[in-house]
Amino acid sequence: MLALGWRYRAGCVAVVFQQCLLVAIGLWSLGLTGLAIDYIRATVDPISATPQWPLGLRPPESWSPRLVVAAIAGAILFLAALHTWARYIAAVRAADLTQRIVVQLRSDVYEKLQRLSFRFYDRHESGSIINRVTGDVQGVRLFVDGVMIQVIVTGLTLAVYLGYMLSVHVPLTLACLATTPIMWFASMRFSRKVRPAYQRNRAASDKLVLALSENVQGMHVVKSFNCQDREIAKFVAANEEVKNGKYEVFRKLSIFQPSIGFLAQLNLLILMGYGGRLVLQGELLLGEGLFVFANLLNQFATQVGNLANISNSIQSSITGAERVFEVLDAPLEVDNVPETPRRKAMAGHLRFEHVDFAYQPGKPVLAAIDFEARPGQCIAIAGATGSGKSTLVSLLPRFYDPTAGRVLIDSVDVRDWHLDDLRRNIGIVFQDSFLFSHSVAANIAFGHPEATREQIERAARTAAAHEFIEQLPDGYDTIIGEYGCNLSGGQRQRLAIARALLLEPPILILDDASSAVDPETEHEMLDAMARAMHGRTTLVIAHRMSTLRRADRIIVLDHGRIVQQGTHAELLAMPGYYRHAAAIQSARAHEVTAMPHFGFSNLREVV
Amino acid sequence: MIASAAPKSQATLVAVSTHEREPDKHPLDFRLIVRLFRYTQPHARMRNILLVSVVLRSIQLPCLTWIIAAVIKGPVADGDSRGLVVGACLFAALALFTQLTMYFRQRLALELGEAVVHDLRNDIFRHLQRMPMRYFHTTKVGRIISRMISDVEDLRTGVQEVLFVTLVQLGQMIVAATFMLWYDAMLFLLVLGLAPVLWAINRHFHRRLSHAYRAIRDSFSRVTATLAESVNGIRVTQGFVRQRTNAALFHELIEDHSRYNFAALRMQGLFQPLLDLNNQCFVALLLLIGGWQVLSPGGGTDVGDLVGFFFMAGMFFSPISNIGGQYNQALTAMAGAERVFRLLDTEPEWVDPPSARPLPQVRGRIEFRDLSFAYDPGRPVLHDISFVAEPGKTIALVGHTGSGKTSIINLIAKFYLPGTGELLVDGHDIRQIRTADLRRHVGIVLQQNFLFSASVLDNVRVGRPEATDDEIIDVFRRLDCLDLIEALPEGCHTQVGERGGRLSVGQRQLVCFARAMVGDPRILILDEATSNVDSMTEHRVQRALARLLSGRTSFVIAHRLSTIRHADVVLVLDHGRIVERGSHDQLVKASGTYAALYERFVDACAA
Repeated sequence: MLALGWRYRAGCVAVVFQQCLLVAIGLWSLGLTGLAIDYIRATVDPISATPQWPLGLRPPESWSPRLVVAAIAGAILFLAALHTWARYIAAVRAADLTQRIVVQLRSDVYEKLQRLSFRFYDRHESGSIINRVTGDVQGVRLFVDGVMIQVIVTGLTLAVYLGYMLSVHVPLTLACLATTPIMWFASMRFSRKVRPAYQRNRAASDKLVLALSENVQGMHVVKSFNCQDREIAKFVAANEEVKNGKYEVFRKLSIFQPSIGFLAQLNLLILMGYGGRLVLQGELLLGEGLFVFANLLNQFATQVGNLANISNSIQSSITGAERVFEVLDAPLEVDNVPETPRRKAMAGHLRFEHVDFAYQPGKPVLAAIDFEARPGQCIAIAGATGSGKSTLVSLLPRFYDPTAGRVLIDSVDVRDWHLDDLRRNIGIVFQDSFLFSHSVAANIAFGHPEATREQIERAARTAAAHEFIEQLPDGYDTIIGEYGCNLSGGQRQRLAIARALLLEPPILILDDASSAVDPETEHEMLDAMARAMHGRTTLVIAHRMSTLRRADRIIVLDHGRIVQQGTHAELLAMPGYYRHAAAIQSARAHEVTAMPHFGFSNLREVV
Repeated sequence: MIASAAPKSQATLVAVSTHEREPDKHPLDFRLIVRLFRYTQPHARMRNILLVSVVLRSIQLPCLTWIIAAVIKGPVADGDSRGLVVGACLFAALALFTQLTMYFRQRLALELGEAVVHDLRNDIFRHLQRMPMRYFHTTKVGRIISRMISDVEDLRTGVQEVLFVTLVQLGQMIVAATFMLWYDAMLFLLVLGLAPVLWAINRHFHRRLSHAYRAIRDSFSRVTATLAESVNGIRVTQGFVRQRTNAALFHELIEDHSRYNFAALRMQGLFQPLLDLNNQCFVALLLLIGGWQVLSPGGGTDVGDLVGFFFMAGMFFSPISNIGGQYNQALTAMAGAERVFRLLDTEPEWVDPPSARPLPQVRGRIEFRDLSFAYDPGRPVLHDISFVAEPGKTIALVGHTGSGKTSIINLIAKFYLPGTGELLVDGHDIRQIRTADLRRHVGIVLQQNFLFSASVLDNVRVGRPEATDDEIIDVFRRLDCLDLIEALPEGCHTQVGERGGRLSVGQRQLVCFARAMVGDPRILILDEATSNVDSMTEHRVQRALARLLSGRTSFVIAHRLSTIRHADVVLVLDHGRIVERGSHDQLVKASGTYAALYERFVDACAA
């Protein structure tokens, strides 16, 4: 993290320098006010000590006292204007520095996030990842401007003040600062004690929010099961917990702050008693001595308080930074081998050779997968939930790398393909048909933003999406997603197919998990899928018998192993999962109707 | 106005609309204040002590300053060491008292704020439980949560800080002004002359800053929305090799955000120094005029008074900038209060009439008589629906999306009241039945399969709170799926996670079946889930479903042929009308809409 500060050293040094200048100007103008008081006092009352002129600048004897006072007032004004200007410049500089850091960090983190492997996303919740770019980055910035610069500035300021005070009167300085260590110690202790309370508080608040959001989202359940009273009791309890947690913090805070306040006043008291005596004895000037001292003590207390803030900043910036650097330093588990040659064309010949895969060591998800697909073939993958179907297809575009064995495309290990070439040549229709909140056209052109409208429309037509897109309020320019037009599950999936087809990929992966839609759509979906597969090597995860029977070969997975392989007819002929699954359905189909051709119509007859 | 300044690329990355934004300020409204104040009534003792401590504190602070000034002016200037000691003791005593008051002032203000907010949250939650389903269908979850979290939080600040801090500071200003008047009326008028300048600077900057902050919030919400989408859609992004394009677009967004940040920081950088410059001007003026007076023979003012005046002026000025900030917060709190109270004032669209009858026993005969219904006036979704469901029969509802199936079950569950016509339960008008009683006899399973983040057992218990663990296990046994539940990591005690996310779709469905079954309802409403599960699980779900339906009057929005086949009556809906009715076989033979739907589907599957 210090390295980060080093990267911005020029900016940091400038900020520190400006801060020092500010302290000096402030001190001068304060001194001048004291001087004026002393001068007036000396003029009115000749017995009292004569003022000490700074830098040996004595006003000419010929000046009248009023002129001298006016001159001092003028000097104060001048310094004040200078101070204002310098502070403004300093603030702008500091803002510039921190913003540069934040922009740079956010860009870096985002860029890295875009490239991180899927494993990273499997391990972390999306909320926590988002926080890293938004909140935690601020934490890192805090380290630069809230910790590094602040430590230097506060340290310097304290040193200057201390030096000035010591130069005025040593024993008085020491006496007045006697309580400072106590203050410092108390601040540290307080922040240590209150932090766990804050954390508990946050947890309690999260629980409250969860209780509320679940209640609202599940309102139909709450209402249909008459749970209102129980829900209220649950919420009231969570609310009470939040309140009690807050009270605990409040109690601590309310003891701490007045105590610190009292200590600061004790300082003033010492100043008044001891300093007052010194003034009486003529050892201290009223203005340049006592008055300046009183003001400085005030500022001193502020700066010490600052130190406590800094220690808090260190804490939060370190936790933030850890989380940011965890992202920045996360290894790219899937990355190009250096100097991977670029290949443009892909024929679409696939081969899995003894592929094993595990998300966590010791818990294999796929074992000894062996199969081949020649260009243009369609391979369907069937099996129960959790049998490893989605994992199997995700090895092809290298969302994960196999733990053992090889995946070959055109006889080249996928790890030796350039990632960009590999993925551009594989069209993927994901299970959840995730669409982004932009226009329909932009979504279809997602993989190829420069695509022309004709290309987009052609892809949409092939995916049987053109008609419904035309009927949307703004056609292809309709904004979809959270803030836009809502699409049905079938429509979303057809857009996802169009998105994959736009790239004209030689290899197509279809993770077919369409939610049931009305029969017309169902019909069109099947058509769209059939057209999409035409002329491409296709891996399709299928539940529908209609899809399965069209495949050139079917692979049946069970607990990560290929248990059966063959065409629809072959598999029906042998005992096993496939025949069993077909039988369940066939039994149901027979029960439905006497019409014979319903034999294997579908696993899920949808009307 | 600010949104238009956003970079145009934002449209291609994410289209976040800000059109639904709510105003974040509201003018001070006396009625709102009174109403908010009424919330302190249950905590009257706390509030009254707090008010006393507020008054005390506003007097104490200037008094402390006065003692210092008096000591400097009197004993210090005159060389009276006894007086010095007396003054010091007085100061110490008052300081201690001040901090003690501070303890109460702070703690009670914080606690009162939390107490009020706590009560408000409970009120909001209770109120929400009374709202009918329509409210939740038409209100976004995020909006309700923001009522409860951010608006209430603004209110808390309003109570904790705005009210009491402002009172303390106003009091302090008045007392300090009195002291200054007493020292020197002329000088005080001078001070008063500067106050408006200070006020004007404050107003100007606060207004501009709040605009700037708003721009920051807007641009930041664009950043987070984009980020959230990027993280959720990472698989698509990587699958389509869009990383670099996205990173460039995101960089532009954060640059944009940073520009607003910079502008705000810059303004802040000018604001605070200007305030201080004003103070310095005041010091210079005071020196000039005060010094002039002191120096002119017989001027009447002495140096001590001048010092005292300096101190008091600080007491007078510091609240002005504070109050400016408080005023802004007050406006924010007002906006929060306005929204919270508007929510609390939204009367439920309907409640049970006082004459509503209890319903101890239900046979389960449901009759629709010429019933029409509309969600929005003028856009009817059901027309003249008439049918009878005899006790124990299963009614399947079939039709396209938007044909009115969901509306029918919404009416039976009494989520909505019928428009015209009648809905009779065992011959009683549904409007005249106590909603809670009715729902006790109605079991509902909806498509979303919503579960609370609790254990499987507790989720089932939602259906009947007094059910024992054994009873619940018995329900699973009767559904013939106990083995599937026991196969979960911790069996029945497995935590299902937020919205049931840790269970598979099929498992969630089974838990929902059990939840509906445990209450042994006479009437069952089922919106069949449409998501795909593999055929084995599907088979189990089907079997469980058959057991769930048997012996109850059931209304099923059916997506599976087997369910429809099982039904006693199939109602085919189209555009809110029943177009056909009869059993599956009858309808297929009738060669009407249903037969066409069916044919088409079968064709699609057999292709």
